[in-house]
Amino acid sequence: MPVLRSRVIPPTKPEIEPLKHPANKIEPATPARTWDTTRPASSGDDDGGDAGRKRKLDVSENLLGLEGGDREGFLNLRSGKKVIKRIGETDGGNSVDGKEKEKGKEKMDFEEVRMLREVSKDGVDVDKLDIKQNADGSCNEKRRRRFGREEKGKAKLIDEHSTVNGSEFINLDLELGTKHSEENVGSVSEPRKEQRVDKKSSVRLSESRMEQFRDIARQNASKFAYFNVEENHLSDDNERLVVADGEVEREIEDWPGPFSTAMKIVRDREKKLNGGQRIGSLDPKKKSNSSILWIPRKGQRQGPKLIIPSLKELSMKILVQNADAITSLEHVPDALRHKLSFMLCDSRQMNSHFLNLLFSGSPTEIRLRDCSWLTEQEFTKAFVSCDTKNLTVLQLDRCGRCMPDYILLSTLASSLNSLPSLTTLSICGACRISDVGFKALVTSAPALRSINLSQCSLLSSTSVDILADKLGSFIQELYINDCQSLNAMLILPALRKLKHLEVLSVAGIETVTDEFVRGFVYACGHNMKELILTDCVKLTDFSLKVIAETCPRLCTLDLSNLYKLTDFGIGYLANGCQAIQTLKLCRNAFSDEAIAAFLETAGEPLKELSLNNVRKVADNTALSLAKRSNKLVNLDLSWCRNLSDEALGLIVDSCLSLRMLKLFGCSQITNAFLDGHSNPDVQIIGLKMSPVLEHIKVPDFHEGPLHYSSVLSSL
Amino acid sequence: MKKEDTVKLISAEGFEFVISKEAAMVSQTIRNMLTSPGGFAETEHGEVTFPEISTTILEKICQYFYWSLQYSRGKETDFHIEPELTLELMMAANYLHT
Repeated sequence: MPVLRSRVIPPTKPEIEPLKHPANKIEPATPARTWDTTRPASSGDDDGGDAGRKRKLDVSENLLGLEGGDREGFLNLRSGKKVIKRIGETDGGNSVDGKEKEKGKEKMDFEEVRMLREVSKDGVDVDKLDIKQNADGSCNEKRRRRFGREEKGKAKLIDEHSTVNGSEFINLDLELGTKHSEENVGSVSEPRKEQRVDKKSSVRLSESRMEQFRDIARQNASKFAYFNVEENHLSDDNERLVVADGEVEREIEDWPGPFSTAMKIVRDREKKLNGGQRIGSLDPKKKSNSSILWIPRKGQRQGPKLIIPSLKELSMKILVQNADAITSLEHVPDALRHKLSFMLCDSRQMNSHFLNLLFSGSPTEIRLRDCSWLTEQEFTKAFVSCDTKNLTVLQLDRCGRCMPDYILLSTLASSLNSLPSLTTLSICGACRISDVGFKALVTSAPALRSINLSQCSLLSSTSVDILADKLGSFIQELYINDCQSLNAMLILPALRKLKHLEVLSVAGIETVTDEFVRGFVYACGHNMKELILTDCVKLTDFSLKVIAETCPRLCTLDLSNLYKLTDFGIGYLANGCQAIQTLKLCRNAFSDEAIAAFLETAGEPLKELSLNNVRKVADNTALSLAKRSNKLVNLDLSWCRNLSDEALGLIVDSCLSLRMLKLFGCSQITNAFLDGHSNPDVQIIGLKMSPVLEHIKVPDFHEGPLHYSSVLSSL
Repeated sequence: MKKEDTVKLISAEGFEFVISKEAAMVSQTIRNMLTSPGGFAETEHGEVTFPEISTTILEKICQYFYWSLQYSRGKETDFHIEPELTLELMMAANYLHT
């Protein structure tokens, strides 16, 4: 069915001549088309500009039933559209779909064209194709791509670099307003004949095209100035996924769904605001770019609400100071025990006396957030005296020093079923545990539902296999942050078995790729409530697309430091995951409008939002936050230097649930905001000399063993 | 103090502490007991019994209530707690949400 172009290329001159005439009949309506028709007839050289001509040649030679009119169809454009230089393969003469890349020898960075093609016979509507210049090869599969029509005014982010060897597409953004970008997809090189043109943005283009390309070059120059070692290895990695099911890529605003509507609203709003006079400027001398209207409160504020120390806190402080004098923790509820041990560990006053108190009797929950002071002997002694039959939660974080394999085998895993009720286990930092010890641990805790193995650097994929085999149908929470010996693709088959998984954290594992995310969420996405993908820098918009499609119940998402994500990713998320309550963005490259549109679409349930170092955040986001985020409690706008006093004032005065606002690095904020906002409950951290450590998230001591389900829920 | 403005808190040993309602309301638990619609005996008689809280602890708690009212009016002093009481006091305070 697919006709390979390569077999029908007649490069001979005479044939070209007659073909040119039909093409010449077409009157171009856009500048780009003049390019096509002004091309000189000299052929023979497979120069870049001849692509279209060659294509037409091809089509006619293919005898696919295309008439002359078809060829005309190449250039028969609707007004206002841009020409696409090349067409893909033809499909039964009906429409051209699929896409082919040229096997260019050079970088084809700055060229993006679109083509409209009209089907002559049926009068079927035009397929608009987008063909990218690809340095490497051409795609074997046919793909139908439809693209948005009209130009809007904004440029989209371009994130892709191109390399000669990399099989990538380049997302370009023409300043003139054609917005287009696409996900990274892999392409399979197809051997092409030499005559296949080498599309360069070279000689034959008209001036307007050249200007476009220059603009593109200007835009992209800064990107290429930053050298990223990883980019050179892209071809080896299986990152670029082939969108095999013929999906189409559209511009954001032509997507179905609420995100595109929101984008339009945001843009219109911005135009309206910017079109008017500058308002809301507090200090006429100060150069304020904000067009937000916010009037600070006049007069003295009462001052922050007086916080009366509670009796519980007072007594706890004294207890912590005199911890050695405590003789028994009997009848003390678990939440208070956790709080005490938390405060003791923080002040480094934790010792084996208190540890023995915690372990004595038949405890139900033990949480120690720092066991780095603990020696092997002390731990063994304390544990031996512990009756573990009721233990449901055990947290021994940073226990690397005291927990090698042999200690594990003699304490926690001393016998089969030695931890019969254990639901939640956390052994962060147990860097001396190997697969052997882990296997014993898993067999001794048959009721385990939540396990935290962060920084257990010796565990390999064998351990994950064992976990999946023994506990695969029960595990609901898995944290494997920074486990350096785990390779994402190797553990993927095991992870896919965890059908009830609700929380997965793979922060810091660099081998996590789009392929991994896709494979995982297709199997387990329906239950996922929390995904932590911090520092998995290889991820692209494709991951967000599949997450949005498969994880409707997602409550928490952490995308910190994923610099490859673009506005399209946020768009997918807004359309797909409408229940997100905690969203952590840090150092992402999203634009102001995209974040604002996300808030408009899916921002209602948000309770915690971090836009730390998302530098482009500005007035649009502020307006959307003020409008939508009624439930927002925690907001981090550190390093967002485009936010003015007015913008922050509006946010703080409108988000009535807001209790904590972080503004580290926002040197542009003045007292006009700090003294002028009217929200008495919000705590602003990071500007003045306020105690900084108080804002660090303290765990909820009343939380149960599992974050999102109750333990009793039957699986 | 008029009777309507006071509340009686009864310890495990049967000691009765009569304090003003405003002071008792510092404890969220007592506040809920006294103000919730539902016809609780506590609401009607103005008496709350705490069978788990001993007398010394309850006395300290009442002292805390008055200290807290003073603090909110601006007089910020230290509230001293004897170390032997702290464990039980903490548990009672946790129960009383204060």
